[in-house]
Amino acid sequence: MYVQEQQPPWKVVRAFSGENGGSLVHLHNVSGGVLSGDHLTLDIDAGPGSIVQVTTTGATRLYRHRQGAARSEQHVKIHVAEGALLEYLPDPLLPFAGSRHRQCTSVSLADRATLLWWDVLAPGRQAMGETFAFDRLHIQTELRSPTRPLLIENLVLEPAQHPLQSPARLGAYTHVANFYACSVGLESSKWRELESKLTDFCSARSKPGVMIWGSSALAADGIAVRGLSVSARELPATLAAIWKIAKRFLTGEDAVLPRKVY
Amino acid sequence: MISLKLNTLLDLLQLADSALPIGAGAHSFGLETLVEEGGLCSETAESFFRDYISEAGLLDASFVRRAWRGEDARQLSDEFCARRLARESREASLKMGRRFSQLVNALVSGTMMPDHAVYPVAFAVAGAHLEIREDDIVLAYLRQSLAGLISVCQRLMPIGQVAASRMIWNLKPSICAAALASKNREVGCFTPLPELASMRHGSLETRLFIS
Repeated sequence: MYVQEQQPPWKVVRAFSGENGGSLVHLHNVSGGVLSGDHLTLDIDAGPGSIVQVTTTGATRLYRHRQGAARSEQHVKIHVAEGALLEYLPDPLLPFAGSRHRQCTSVSLADRATLLWWDVLAPGRQAMGETFAFDRLHIQTELRSPTRPLLIENLVLEPAQHPLQSPARLGAYTHVANFYACSVGLESSKWRELESKLTDFCSARSKPGVMIWGSSALAADGIAVRGLSVSARELPATLAAIWKIAKRFLTGEDAVLPRKVY
Repeated sequence: MISLKLNTLLDLLQLADSALPIGAGAHSFGLETLVEEGGLCSETAESFFRDYISEAGLLDASFVRRAWRGEDARQLSDEFCARRLARESREASLKMGRRFSQLVNALVSGTMMPDHAVYPVAFAVAGAHLEIREDDIVLAYLRQSLAGLISVCQRLMPIGQVAASRMIWNLKPSICAAALASKNREVGCFTPLPELASMRHGSLETRLFIS
Protein backbone atom coordinates (compact mmCIF):
# COMPACT_ATOMS: atom_id res chain seq x y z
CA MET A 1 0.00 0.00 0.00
CA TYR A 2 1.24 3.46 -0.82
CA VAL A 3 -0.09 6.57 0.91
CA GLN A 4 0.45 9.39 -1.56
CA GLU A 5 -0.66 12.09 0.78
CA GLN A 6 -2.45 12.40 4.06
CA GLN A 7 -3.43 15.50 5.96
CA PRO A 8 -5.43 15.96 9.15
CA PRO A 9 -8.10 15.37 10.11
CA TRP A 10 -7.79 12.07 8.25
CA LYS A 11 -4.94 9.71 8.97
CA VAL A 12 -4.24 6.32 7.45
CA VAL A 13 -3.40 3.62 9.95
CA ARG A 14 -0.71 1.33 8.58
CA ALA A 15 -1.88 -1.61 6.52
CA PHE A 16 -2.30 -5.01 8.10
CA SER A 17 -1.51 -7.96 5.86
CA GLY A 18 -4.30 -10.42 5.20
CA GLU A 19 -4.02 -14.17 4.80
CA ASN A 20 -4.95 -13.81 1.14
CA GLY A 21 -2.07 -11.41 0.53
CA GLY A 22 -4.30 -8.38 0.70
CA SER A 23 -4.12 -5.28 2.87
CA LEU A 24 -6.48 -4.07 5.58
CA VAL A 25 -6.41 -0.27 5.93
CA HIS A 26 -8.09 1.88 8.58
CA LEU A 27 -9.01 5.51 8.06
CA HIS A 28 -9.07 7.52 11.26
CA ASN A 29 -10.56 11.02 11.69
CA VAL A 30 -8.34 12.50 14.40
CA SER A 31 -10.74 15.39 15.05
CA GLY A 32 -13.45 12.94 16.10
CA GLY A 33 -15.97 14.09 13.57
CA VAL A 34 -16.88 16.52 10.80
CA LEU A 35 -17.32 20.20 11.61
CA SER A 36 -19.03 23.00 9.70
CA GLY A 37 -16.95 24.19 6.78
CA ASP A 38 -14.82 21.00 6.71
CA HIS A 39 -13.95 19.83 3.23
CA LEU A 40 -12.63 16.26 3.26
CA THR A 41 -11.35 14.38 0.25
CA LEU A 42 -10.38 10.74 -0.04
CA ASP A 43 -8.91 9.10 -3.13
CA ILE A 44 -8.51 5.33 -3.20
CA ASP A 45 -6.80 3.68 -6.13
CA ALA A 46 -6.77 -0.14 -6.01
CA GLY A 47 -4.10 -1.09 -8.56
CA PRO A 48 -4.31 -4.00 -11.01
CA GLY A 49 -4.74 -7.33 -9.24
CA SER A 50 -4.62 -5.78 -5.77
CA ILE A 51 -6.67 -7.02 -2.82
CA VAL A 52 -7.58 -4.35 -0.31
CA GLN A 53 -10.05 -3.76 2.48
CA VAL A 54 -10.65 -0.20 3.66
CA THR A 55 -12.59 0.58 6.79
CA THR A 56 -12.84 3.31 9.41
CA THR A 57 -12.19 3.36 13.14
CA GLY A 58 -15.62 4.67 14.08
CA ALA A 59 -18.83 6.29 12.88
CA THR A 60 -18.55 9.46 10.83
CA ARG A 61 -20.11 11.99 13.18
CA LEU A 62 -21.48 15.12 11.56
CA TYR A 63 -21.42 17.72 14.32
CA ARG A 64 -23.92 20.55 14.77
CA HIS A 65 -23.05 23.41 12.43
CA ARG A 66 -22.65 26.95 13.69
CA GLN A 67 -25.40 29.29 12.60
CA GLY A 68 -24.52 30.78 9.23
CA ALA A 69 -21.45 28.59 8.77
CA ALA A 70 -20.79 26.75 5.53
CA ARG A 71 -21.90 23.16 5.22
CA SER A 72 -19.35 20.40 5.52
CA GLU A 73 -18.44 18.28 2.52
CA GLN A 74 -16.83 14.90 1.96
CA HIS A 75 -15.68 13.77 -1.46
CA VAL A 76 -14.61 10.17 -1.99
CA LYS A 77 -13.18 9.03 -5.30
CA ILE A 78 -12.46 5.36 -5.79
CA HIS A 79 -10.92 3.55 -8.73
CA VAL A 80 -10.68 -0.23 -8.84
CA ALA A 81 -8.30 -1.35 -11.57
CA GLU A 82 -8.43 -4.49 -13.69
CA GLY A 83 -8.64 -7.68 -11.69
CA ALA A 84 -8.53 -5.87 -8.34
CA LEU A 85 -10.78 -6.50 -5.34
CA LEU A 86 -11.75 -3.60 -3.07
CA GLU A 87 -13.88 -4.04 0.04
CA TYR A 88 -14.95 -0.60 1.23
CA LEU A 89 -16.58 -1.00 4.63
CA PRO A 90 -16.99 2.34 6.43
CA ASP A 91 -18.75 2.72 9.78
CA PRO A 92 -22.17 4.43 9.86
CA LEU A 93 -22.86 8.06 9.04
CA LEU A 94 -24.29 9.78 12.10
CA PRO A 95 -25.74 13.26 11.51
CA PHE A 96 -26.11 15.28 14.73
CA ALA A 97 -28.88 17.80 15.21
CA GLY A 98 -28.23 21.00 13.28
CA SER A 99 -25.71 19.48 10.86
CA ARG A 100 -25.58 20.32 7.16
CA HIS A 101 -23.48 18.03 5.01
CA ARG A 102 -22.88 16.95 1.46
CA GLN A 103 -21.27 13.61 0.67
CA CYS A 104 -20.17 12.66 -2.84
CA THR A 105 -18.85 9.20 -3.65
CA SER A 106 -17.67 8.36 -7.14
CA VAL A 107 -16.52 4.84 -8.00
CA SER A 108 -15.07 3.70 -11.31
CA LEU A 109 -14.54 0.02 -12.00
CA ALA A 110 -12.25 -1.35 -14.68
CA ASP A 111 -12.83 -4.63 -16.49
CA ARG A 112 -12.84 -7.63 -14.09
CA ALA A 113 -12.74 -5.28 -11.09
CA THR A 114 -14.68 -6.38 -8.02
CA LEU A 115 -16.16 -4.11 -5.37
CA LEU A 116 -17.89 -5.02 -2.13
CA TRP A 117 -19.22 -1.94 -0.37
CA TRP A 118 -21.60 -1.18 2.43
CA ASP A 119 -22.90 1.94 4.10
CA VAL A 120 -25.29 2.72 6.92
CA LEU A 121 -27.17 5.93 7.60
CA ALA A 122 -28.29 6.49 11.17
CA PRO A 123 -31.01 9.02 12.08
CA GLY A 124 -28.89 10.88 14.65
CA ARG A 125 -28.09 10.51 18.35
CA GLN A 126 -31.32 8.80 19.29
CA ALA A 127 -30.28 8.34 22.92
CA MET A 128 -30.05 12.15 23.13
CA GLY A 129 -33.54 12.49 21.62
CA GLU A 130 -32.19 13.48 18.22
CA THR A 131 -33.94 11.60 15.47
CA PHE A 132 -33.88 13.26 12.07
CA ALA A 133 -32.87 16.53 13.75
CA PHE A 134 -30.21 17.40 11.20
CA ASP A 135 -30.79 20.36 8.88
CA ARG A 136 -29.79 18.89 5.53
CA LEU A 137 -28.00 15.85 4.24
CA HIS A 138 -27.15 15.56 0.55
CA ILE A 139 -25.75 12.21 -0.56
CA GLN A 140 -24.58 11.72 -4.14
CA THR A 141 -23.32 8.38 -5.32
CA GLU A 142 -22.12 7.27 -8.71
CA LEU A 143 -20.79 3.83 -9.56
CA ARG A 144 -19.61 3.14 -13.12
CA SER A 145 -18.17 0.36 -15.23
CA PRO A 146 -16.12 1.21 -18.34
CA THR A 147 -19.25 1.12 -20.51
CA ARG A 148 -22.17 2.40 -18.44
CA PRO A 149 -23.41 3.77 -15.13
CA LEU A 150 -24.34 1.00 -12.68
CA LEU A 151 -25.76 2.99 -9.79
CA ILE A 152 -26.61 6.66 -9.43
CA GLU A 153 -28.23 8.20 -6.37
CA ASN A 154 -28.92 11.81 -5.51
CA LEU A 155 -30.56 11.95 -2.09
CA VAL A 156 -31.59 15.21 -0.47
CA LEU A 157 -32.84 14.83 3.08
CA GLU A 158 -34.36 17.90 4.76
CA PRO A 159 -36.43 16.49 7.61
CA ALA A 160 -37.99 19.80 8.66
CA GLN A 161 -39.29 20.58 5.17
CA HIS A 162 -39.99 17.04 3.92
CA PRO A 163 -40.72 14.62 6.79
CA LEU A 164 -38.74 11.41 6.46
CA GLN A 165 -41.46 9.46 8.27
CA SER A 166 -43.67 9.70 5.19
CA PRO A 167 -44.46 6.21 3.78
CA ALA A 168 -43.08 7.54 0.49
CA ARG A 169 -39.67 7.92 2.21
CA LEU A 170 -38.81 5.88 5.35
CA GLY A 171 -42.19 5.25 6.95
CA ALA A 172 -41.71 3.90 10.45
CA TYR A 173 -38.06 3.01 9.87
CA THR A 174 -35.12 5.10 11.00
CA HIS A 175 -31.97 3.39 9.75
CA VAL A 176 -30.93 2.72 6.15
CA ALA A 177 -28.32 0.13 5.19
CA ASN A 178 -26.98 -0.61 1.73
CA PHE A 179 -24.69 -3.29 0.39
CA TYR A 180 -23.36 -3.30 -3.16
CA ALA A 181 -21.43 -6.06 -4.88
CA CYS A 182 -20.06 -5.48 -8.38
CA SER A 183 -17.85 -7.53 -10.64
CA VAL A 184 -17.43 -6.12 -14.14
CA GLY A 185 -17.91 -8.68 -16.85
CA LEU A 186 -19.82 -11.33 -14.86
CA GLU A 187 -22.76 -12.58 -16.91
CA SER A 188 -26.28 -11.50 -15.96
CA SER A 189 -27.43 -15.06 -15.20
CA LYS A 190 -24.93 -15.22 -12.33
CA TRP A 191 -26.29 -11.99 -10.91
CA ARG A 192 -29.81 -13.43 -10.99
CA GLU A 193 -28.48 -16.49 -9.17
CA LEU A 194 -26.87 -14.32 -6.48
CA GLU A 195 -30.02 -12.22 -6.28
CA SER A 196 -32.01 -15.37 -5.59
CA LYS A 197 -29.63 -16.45 -2.80
CA LEU A 198 -29.65 -13.03 -1.19
CA THR A 199 -33.42 -12.69 -1.57
CA ASP A 200 -33.89 -15.92 0.39
CA PHE A 201 -31.56 -14.62 3.08
CA CYS A 202 -33.29 -11.23 3.16
CA SER A 203 -36.73 -12.81 3.46
CA ALA A 204 -35.58 -14.90 6.39
CA ARG A 205 -34.17 -11.87 8.20
CA SER A 206 -37.09 -9.54 7.52
CA LYS A 207 -39.78 -8.68 10.01
CA PRO A 208 -42.05 -5.93 8.65
CA GLY A 209 -42.31 -3.07 11.09
CA VAL A 210 -38.95 -3.92 12.68
CA MET A 211 -36.40 -4.63 9.95
CA ILE A 212 -36.83 -5.42 6.26
CA TRP A 213 -34.32 -6.35 3.59
CA GLY A 214 -34.46 -6.78 -0.16
CA SER A 215 -32.05 -7.68 -2.93
CA SER A 216 -32.00 -6.72 -6.60
CA ALA A 217 -29.60 -7.17 -9.48
CA LEU A 218 -28.42 -3.87 -10.93
CA ALA A 219 -28.87 -3.06 -14.62
CA ALA A 220 -25.49 -4.67 -15.22
CA ASP A 221 -22.40 -6.01 -13.43
CA GLY A 222 -23.73 -5.90 -9.89
CA ILE A 223 -26.28 -6.34 -7.18
CA ALA A 224 -27.73 -4.13 -4.46
CA VAL A 225 -29.11 -5.10 -1.08
CA ARG A 226 -31.04 -2.57 0.97
CA GLY A 227 -32.29 -2.75 4.52
CA LEU A 228 -34.48 -0.50 6.64
CA SER A 229 -34.66 -0.89 10.39
CA VAL A 230 -36.12 0.76 13.48
CA SER A 231 -32.82 0.34 15.31
CA ALA A 232 -29.14 -0.20 14.61
CA ARG A 233 -28.92 -3.36 16.70
CA GLU A 234 -29.04 -6.06 14.05
CA LEU A 235 -27.67 -4.13 11.08
CA PRO A 236 -23.94 -4.90 11.48
CA ALA A 237 -24.41 -8.66 11.84
CA THR A 238 -26.87 -8.79 8.94
CA LEU A 239 -24.59 -6.77 6.67
CA ALA A 240 -21.66 -9.01 7.58
CA ALA A 241 -23.70 -12.10 6.70
CA ILE A 242 -24.74 -10.60 3.35
CA TRP A 243 -21.14 -9.73 2.64
CA LYS A 244 -20.04 -13.31 3.37
CA ILE A 245 -22.63 -14.72 0.97
CA ALA A 246 -21.67 -12.29 -1.81
CA LYS A 247 -17.92 -12.67 -1.37
CA ARG A 248 -18.03 -16.47 -1.40
CA PHE A 249 -20.25 -16.43 -4.48
CA LEU A 250 -18.10 -13.96 -6.41
CA THR A 251 -14.59 -14.95 -5.36
CA GLY A 252 -14.84 -18.40 -3.77
CA GLU A 253 -13.20 -16.96 -0.67
CA ASP A 254 -14.39 -16.31 2.85
CA ALA A 255 -15.00 -12.76 4.04
CA VAL A 256 -12.50 -11.68 6.67
CA LEU A 257 -14.15 -9.19 8.97
CA PRO A 258 -12.19 -6.12 10.09
CA ARG A 259 -11.23 -6.17 13.76
CA LYS A 260 -14.60 -5.09 15.12
CA VAL A 261 -17.60 -6.63 16.77
CA TYR A 262 -20.38 -7.65 14.40
CA MET B 1 -59.64 20.46 -41.55
CA ILE B 2 -58.39 20.13 -37.97
CA SER B 3 -55.87 22.78 -36.94
CA LEU B 4 -52.39 21.71 -35.88
CA LYS B 5 -53.15 22.84 -32.36
CA LEU B 6 -56.29 20.68 -32.05
CA ASN B 7 -54.59 17.74 -33.73
CA THR B 8 -51.70 17.98 -31.25
CA LEU B 9 -54.15 18.14 -28.38
CA LEU B 10 -55.86 14.98 -29.61
CA ASP B 11 -52.46 13.24 -29.93
CA LEU B 12 -51.62 14.21 -26.35
CA LEU B 13 -54.97 13.05 -24.99
CA GLN B 14 -54.52 9.67 -26.63
CA LEU B 15 -50.93 9.13 -25.53
CA ALA B 16 -51.72 10.29 -22.00
CA ASP B 17 -54.69 7.95 -21.63
CA SER B 18 -54.06 5.73 -18.60
CA ALA B 19 -55.75 2.91 -20.56
CA LEU B 20 -53.15 3.03 -23.34
CA PRO B 21 -52.39 -0.61 -24.25
CA ILE B 22 -48.79 -0.77 -23.00
CA GLY B 23 -49.24 -3.06 -20.01
CA ALA B 24 -49.10 -0.37 -17.32
CA GLY B 25 -51.97 -2.02 -15.45
CA ALA B 26 -49.83 -5.08 -14.69
CA HIS B 27 -47.30 -3.15 -12.58
CA SER B 28 -47.63 -1.78 -9.07
CA PHE B 29 -44.01 -0.56 -8.77
CA GLY B 30 -43.83 -1.87 -5.23
CA LEU B 31 -47.19 -0.59 -4.00
CA GLU B 32 -48.53 -4.13 -3.68
CA THR B 33 -45.79 -4.92 -1.14
CA LEU B 34 -46.36 -1.68 0.74
CA VAL B 35 -50.05 -2.44 1.11
CA GLU B 36 -49.39 -6.05 2.08
CA GLU B 37 -46.95 -5.02 4.82
CA GLY B 38 -49.15 -2.24 6.18
CA GLY B 39 -47.12 0.68 4.88
CA LEU B 40 -49.94 2.10 2.75
CA CYS B 41 -53.72 2.19 3.22
CA SER B 42 -56.68 4.08 1.79
CA GLU B 43 -56.48 6.72 4.54
CA THR B 44 -52.84 7.54 3.84
CA ALA B 45 -52.87 7.12 0.05
CA GLU B 46 -53.31 10.79 -0.85
CA SER B 47 -50.51 12.03 1.41
CA PHE B 48 -48.33 9.16 0.20
CA PHE B 49 -48.79 10.20 -3.42
CA ARG B 50 -48.21 13.86 -2.56
CA ASP B 51 -44.74 12.96 -1.26
CA TYR B 52 -44.13 10.29 -3.91
CA ILE B 53 -44.74 12.74 -6.75
CA SER B 54 -42.30 15.22 -5.17
CA GLU B 55 -39.58 12.54 -5.18
CA ALA B 56 -40.03 9.75 -7.77
CA GLY B 57 -42.40 11.79 -9.93
CA LEU B 58 -39.89 14.62 -10.03
CA LEU B 59 -37.11 12.24 -11.07
CA ASP B 60 -39.19 10.73 -13.87
CA ALA B 61 -40.26 14.19 -15.04
CA SER B 62 -36.62 15.29 -15.29
CA PHE B 63 -35.96 12.40 -17.67
CA VAL B 64 -39.03 13.30 -19.71
CA ARG B 65 -37.71 16.85 -20.11
CA ARG B 66 -34.20 15.76 -21.03
CA ALA B 67 -35.52 13.29 -23.61
CA TRP B 68 -37.87 15.88 -25.09
CA ARG B 69 -34.90 18.27 -25.45
CA GLY B 70 -33.07 15.71 -27.57
CA GLU B 71 -30.58 13.98 -25.26
CA ASP B 72 -29.56 10.53 -26.49
CA ALA B 73 -32.37 8.10 -25.69
CA ARG B 74 -30.09 5.13 -25.04
CA GLN B 75 -27.78 7.01 -22.69
CA LEU B 76 -30.73 8.54 -20.85
CA SER B 77 -32.29 5.10 -20.46
CA ASP B 78 -29.01 3.69 -19.10
CA GLU B 79 -28.85 6.54 -16.60
CA PHE B 80 -32.49 6.01 -15.63
CA CYS B 81 -31.83 2.31 -15.07
CA ALA B 82 -28.87 3.19 -12.84
CA ARG B 83 -31.22 5.31 -10.74
CA ARG B 84 -33.79 2.53 -10.35
CA LEU B 85 -32.36 0.05 -7.88
CA ALA B 86 -35.30 -2.35 -7.97
CA ARG B 87 -35.01 -4.76 -10.88
CA GLU B 88 -38.76 -5.35 -11.23
CA SER B 89 -39.54 -1.63 -11.51
CA ARG B 90 -36.67 -1.10 -13.91
CA GLU B 91 -37.77 -3.95 -16.15
CA ALA B 92 -41.36 -2.71 -15.99
CA SER B 93 -40.30 0.68 -17.29
CA LEU B 94 -38.28 -0.93 -20.09
CA LYS B 95 -41.20 -3.20 -21.11
CA MET B 96 -43.66 -0.33 -21.08
CA GLY B 97 -41.22 1.80 -23.05
CA ARG B 98 -40.80 -0.92 -25.66
CA ARG B 99 -44.54 -1.47 -26.06
CA PHE B 100 -45.18 2.26 -26.19
CA SER B 101 -42.56 2.71 -28.92
CA GLN B 102 -44.06 -0.15 -30.95
CA LEU B 103 -47.56 1.32 -30.55
CA VAL B 104 -46.54 4.81 -31.64
CA ASN B 105 -44.59 3.48 -34.63
CA ALA B 106 -47.72 1.54 -35.64
CA LEU B 107 -49.99 4.57 -35.18
CA VAL B 108 -47.82 6.89 -37.29
CA SER B 109 -46.73 4.12 -39.68
CA GLY B 110 -43.14 5.06 -39.07
CA THR B 111 -39.94 4.11 -37.28
CA MET B 112 -39.27 7.25 -35.33
CA MET B 113 -39.30 5.64 -31.89
CA PRO B 114 -36.20 4.23 -30.14
CA ASP B 115 -36.00 0.46 -29.58
CA HIS B 116 -34.77 0.21 -26.02
CA ALA B 117 -35.96 3.26 -24.15
CA VAL B 118 -37.47 3.35 -20.70
CA TYR B 119 -41.02 4.61 -20.59
CA PRO B 120 -40.47 8.27 -19.58
CA VAL B 121 -37.87 8.63 -22.34
CA ALA B 122 -40.07 6.97 -24.99
CA PHE B 123 -43.03 9.10 -23.92
CA ALA B 124 -41.02 12.28 -24.35
CA VAL B 125 -39.53 11.25 -27.70
CA ALA B 126 -43.03 10.69 -29.05
CA GLY B 127 -44.12 14.04 -27.67
CA ALA B 128 -41.25 15.87 -29.31
CA HIS B 129 -41.85 14.21 -32.70
CA LEU B 130 -45.56 15.05 -32.52
CA GLU B 131 -44.71 18.69 -31.68
CA ILE B 132 -46.37 18.56 -28.27
CA ARG B 133 -45.00 21.31 -26.02
CA GLU B 134 -42.42 20.34 -23.41
CA ASP B 135 -44.41 21.45 -20.36
CA ASP B 136 -47.54 19.71 -21.67
CA ILE B 137 -45.77 16.39 -22.18
CA VAL B 138 -44.25 16.55 -18.68
CA LEU B 139 -47.61 17.30 -17.05
CA ALA B 140 -49.30 14.59 -19.08
CA TYR B 141 -46.69 12.01 -18.07
CA LEU B 142 -47.01 12.85 -14.39
CA ARG B 143 -50.78 12.81 -14.43
CA GLN B 144 -50.90 9.53 -16.35
CA SER B 145 -48.42 7.90 -13.95
CA LEU B 146 -50.38 9.07 -10.94
CA ALA B 147 -53.69 7.90 -12.38
CA GLY B 148 -52.16 4.51 -13.10
CA LEU B 149 -50.83 4.09 -9.56
CA ILE B 150 -54.13 5.17 -8.03
CA SER B 151 -55.86 2.61 -10.23
CA VAL B 152 -53.45 0.02 -8.79
CA CYS B 153 -54.43 1.12 -5.30
CA GLN B 154 -58.11 0.63 -6.14
CA ARG B 155 -57.40 -3.04 -6.76
CA LEU B 156 -55.46 -3.38 -3.52
CA MET B 157 -57.60 -1.45 -1.05
CA PRO B 158 -61.10 0.00 -0.69
CA ILE B 159 -60.94 3.18 -2.78
CA GLY B 160 -64.05 3.92 -4.83
CA GLN B 161 -64.21 5.60 -8.23
CA VAL B 162 -65.24 9.00 -6.85
CA ALA B 163 -62.56 8.89 -4.14
CA ALA B 164 -59.94 8.00 -6.75
CA SER B 165 -61.02 10.88 -8.98
CA ARG B 166 -60.98 13.25 -6.02
CA MET B 167 -57.44 12.15 -5.18
CA ILE B 168 -56.19 12.89 -8.70
CA TRP B 169 -58.01 16.24 -8.61
CA ASN B 170 -56.53 17.17 -5.21
CA LEU B 171 -53.00 16.27 -6.32
CA LYS B 172 -52.95 18.69 -9.25
CA PRO B 173 -50.80 21.23 -7.32
CA SER B 174 -48.28 18.47 -6.55
CA ILE B 175 -48.14 17.48 -10.20
CA CYS B 176 -47.56 21.10 -11.22
CA ALA B 177 -44.89 21.58 -8.55
CA ALA B 178 -43.01 18.47 -9.69
CA ALA B 179 -43.28 19.53 -13.33
CA LEU B 180 -41.84 22.94 -12.47
CA ALA B 181 -39.05 21.55 -10.27
CA SER B 182 -38.03 19.11 -13.00
CA LYS B 183 -36.60 22.05 -14.94
CA ASN B 184 -33.64 21.99 -12.53
CA ARG B 185 -30.61 20.21 -13.93
CA GLU B 186 -29.99 18.23 -10.73
CA VAL B 187 -32.93 16.54 -9.04
CA GLY B 188 -32.96 14.35 -5.97
CA CYS B 189 -35.11 11.34 -5.17
CA PHE B 190 -35.34 9.73 -1.71
CA THR B 191 -37.87 6.89 -1.68
CA PRO B 192 -36.14 4.02 0.12
CA LEU B 193 -39.32 2.38 1.45
CA PRO B 194 -41.23 2.13 -1.87
CA GLU B 195 -38.00 1.12 -3.59
CA LEU B 196 -37.35 -1.63 -1.08
CA ALA B 197 -40.98 -2.68 -1.40
CA SER B 198 -40.39 -3.15 -5.13
CA MET B 199 -37.23 -5.17 -4.40
CA ARG B 200 -39.22 -7.39 -2.02
CA HIS B 201 -42.24 -7.77 -4.31
CA GLY B 202 -41.07 -11.08 -5.78
CA SER B 203 -41.16 -12.63 -2.30
CA LEU B 204 -44.88 -12.02 -1.75
CA GLU B 205 -46.83 -15.28 -1.45
CA THR B 206 -49.57 -14.15 -3.80
CA ARG B 207 -49.28 -11.35 -6.31
CA LEU B 208 -51.82 -9.53 -8.46
CA PHE B 209 -49.12 -7.57 -10.28
CA ILE B 210 -45.95 -8.44 -12.18
CA SER B 211 -43.98 -5.78 -10.30
